[in-house]
Amino acid sequence: MNTLLSLTDNLRTFWSYTGFYNAEIGHIIMILIGLVFIYLAITKEYEPLLLIPIGFGILIGNIPFNEAANLQVGIYEEGSVFNILYQGVVKGWYPPLIFLGIGAMTDFSALIANPKLILIGAAAQFGIFGAYIIALQMGFAPNEAGAIGIIGGADGPTAIFLTSKLAPHLLGAVAISAYSYMALVPVIQPPFMRLLTTPQERVIKMKTPRVVSQTEKIMFPIMGLLMTAFLVPSGLALLGMLFFGNLLKESGVTRRLAETARGPLVDTITILLGLTVGASTQATTFLRVESVKIFAIGALSFVIATCTGILFVKLMNLFLKKGDKINPLVGNAGVSAVPDAARISQTTGLEYDPSNYLLMHAMGPNVAGVIGSAVAAGIMLGFLY
Amino acid sequence: MTATVEKALLIAGIGMVGIFVFMALFYLLILALDRFLPFHEETPAEELSEDSITDEEE
Repeated sequence: MNTLLSLTDNLRTFWSYTGFYNAEIGHIIMILIGLVFIYLAITKEYEPLLLIPIGFGILIGNIPFNEAANLQVGIYEEGSVFNILYQGVVKGWYPPLIFLGIGAMTDFSALIANPKLILIGAAAQFGIFGAYIIALQMGFAPNEAGAIGIIGGADGPTAIFLTSKLAPHLLGAVAISAYSYMALVPVIQPPFMRLLTTPQERVIKMKTPRVVSQTEKIMFPIMGLLMTAFLVPSGLALLGMLFFGNLLKESGVTRRLAETARGPLVDTITILLGLTVGASTQATTFLRVESVKIFAIGALSFVIATCTGILFVKLMNLFLKKGDKINPLVGNAGVSAVPDAARISQTTGLEYDPSNYLLMHAMGPNVAGVIGSAVAAGIMLGFLY
Repeated sequence: MTATVEKALLIAGIGMVGIFVFMALFYLLILALDRFLPFHEETPAEELSEDSITDEEE
């Protein structure tokens, strides 16, 4: 009889430790959101390299368990494996390493060949500051508003880096919002590109860019680093690593390092970043009214960034000679979703003129957007940290 | 207009001006690179060494 009672007690204890016993409606909702991410990544191929780790991370982070038992499995339990991996996000180690990889895979030739395109990358940052003002109006504290505003830069690592410094408690919502909208760039941008351009503007053919010498390509990251370090020191972690990665690529003598930076290193960090950011969205911290507000502001910031990029090109065209005019369809590429935003310029341009290839031209503002959003993050950090 | 909004507008204004100044300087930097390091047809090292060998033989 005693054995039977003991067995029943053990079974009851075991049951109290299971996910079925501890599950709440919030866990189920978050698990469904994670499954949607995985579904979108596999069936629609929306940023699968990011959405699969994030989606799976959401599943991991929302497996219900008995938190009082101190099992050390949760991402917020000090000393757990996921907590240790999450330190790369919290302390801001992962984003600069991602930037190292981005630098090692980015060709700045399009920008060097047509430097006026760099100004489009600046104009698109209105999305960040527009969202910052909106977030303040919606009741967020200034540091929180800064973290939310950076979603408009369309740059996941930058958003994570800045939020980890300014408002770590919003990290999950900001990161998920930034990456979701980056994945949805092909859905969000085209309607506004059509709305803000005329049929004549959409078929503007841009001049073939000049050839860029290897010496220019080598000097660009060195001079870029020095300028960043002196002008915006707070952007050094991101831009320093970006230019370092680019020098590894362009120097021609560090091929192995460049290949590691743009291959295995960036892949490893992407896996860790995606998984831990996903796992950080535990229902108790994520399913709040603030998260919904952050998602709404994030969408607005993407729209503002897209529109200001396009409108700025139209403004530039007023001052440019006939042969030098820029197709406004590259204006959307001022956000730093590389190379998705540039690809959208290309596909939208081809819809109106099948012989007008805009990809090369759109890559200029696109890489300028990476620099621009990192500078904006540095400025925000300088004011609000 | 509240003090918070005023400060937000100030930060946004300074931020955007800062970004444009930074990008404008980058623009000038690229122009300078083009001016002082213009593109020349770059001969691969192998061809150079072959040419020099041929010259020496001649």
